[in-house]
Amino acid sequence: MNAFKLWYHKLGSPPYFYLFAGYIRPWLWGIALLLAAVGLYGGLVLAPPDYQQGDAFRIIFVHVPAAWMSLFIYGVMAVSAFIAVIWRPKMAEVLAMESAPIGAAFTLIALITGSLWGKPTWGTYWTWDARLTSELVLLFIYLGVIGLYHAFEDPRQGARAASFLAMVGAVNLPIVHYSVVWWNTLHQGTTVRYFGPSSIAPSMLWPLLVMTIAAKFYYGASLMGRSRVALLSLERGKDWVRAEVAGAPAGG
Amino acid sequence: MSASALPRAFLAMLRRDVVLAWRRRGDALLPVLYAVIVTTLFPFALGPEHALLARISGGVVLVTVLLAMLLSLDAVFRGDLEDGALEHMLLAPQPLALLMAARMLAYWLVTALPLVLVAPLLAYMLGLDAVAQPVLLLALLLASALLDLLGIVLTALTVGTRRSGMLLSLMLLPLAVPVVIFAAGAVGAAQQGLPWIAPLAWLAAALALALVLAPLACATALRIALDS
Repeated sequence: MNAFKLWYHKLGSPPYFYLFAGYIRPWLWGIALLLAAVGLYGGLVLAPPDYQQGDAFRIIFVHVPAAWMSLFIYGVMAVSAFIAVIWRPKMAEVLAMESAPIGAAFTLIALITGSLWGKPTWGTYWTWDARLTSELVLLFIYLGVIGLYHAFEDPRQGARAASFLAMVGAVNLPIVHYSVVWWNTLHQGTTVRYFGPSSIAPSMLWPLLVMTIAAKFYYGASLMGRSRVALLSLERGKDWVRAEVAGAPAGG
Repeated sequence: MSASALPRAFLAMLRRDVVLAWRRRGDALLPVLYAVIVTTLFPFALGPEHALLARISGGVVLVTVLLAMLLSLDAVFRGDLEDGALEHMLLAPQPLALLMAARMLAYWLVTALPLVLVAPLLAYMLGLDAVAQPVLLLALLLASALLDLLGIVLTALTVGTRRSGMLLSLMLLPLAVPVVIFAAGAVGAAQQGLPWIAPLAWLAAALALALVLAPLACATALRIALDS
């Protein structure tokens, strides 16, 4: 077995993962904060105001990364959930279940920033646009997964049931999106135009990309932190957790 | 196991569920009563203006039927879980998916079919055009069957939990969105005199897919929820 494969298999063990997550978490945090600072400076200060929307467009530097992350995290969660249901490794369950609240938070941020942007731009906080509606349904799927996870007394059983729901949601999500697009075009023409990826100026594009990468690193950092806590709670009573808790400095 | 054992098991399960429901036929009427009450509330809330009520009638009836089905989903496995029959279904030599298919058909016959039958009356009370009535009936037949399949899969997932009522609606809503969109879209198109077959064809295609997959998914979900 080569070194990478060995390392990968070791990651499946909760004590090893706990150490590994604790080691890389400060690095992920650092990179995320640094990139976010650069991206926000580029987006809020350096980028010129939009010729139509003025300064209102600047919310996209938070909104677009959050919206992308909401889907990205769902993808990560669905893959972990699939692994958790089929092969039942504990770490896949933990990663899937700890991804869900982060994904839900990003979805909520995308919805809130989207409606804040919508008020000056479209003149309303909410419209039944296809993307908005799909994003709202995505939030419900996340909440369903979180709710089902916590409804079980046994967290491992809850994780497996919620993982199954996450897989059902992964199948359902594209269906919801296309049916909502169909429904929206049936009732009214498209009144909302988003930025096309090609029609955005380079001075606005690079802060956006930097913010996207910052969001990815933040997700990694947050996932590592949440997984560590979840592991301590799941594995309580095991020797390594006792040693870990006993060895921790007071108040730490 | 002989070749005739599977159909026999399916029919035995179906017969058992329908007979059990028939013995308590008052309970089976409650969802219908609920649908009638909810539909009656809409004119009080919106005013008796005929044009408005006629325009929303299809959607109101569809959503009411969905809610009535949702409320009764909670009870699909409860009795069997309490008296231990569910564990025996898991242990039975017949495939669990087959038994679940029988359970889904029985639940549709007992709960959804009365709702579908009363729906044209409700739609008529709200003033739906006579032209759109057959479309509503067809859309409801497809949509109720689809919701029945999807809903029971999700109910199976929540079997091991204590408070599943609100959770179930949260879980079912994302799955119900496309169903409601296509069913209501067909009725709306029929009301406007537009061709309405396309959304119904989508619903029927989804139903064909769900008929195959839902019993299997339901069996998997039950095994997860009961941890065996």
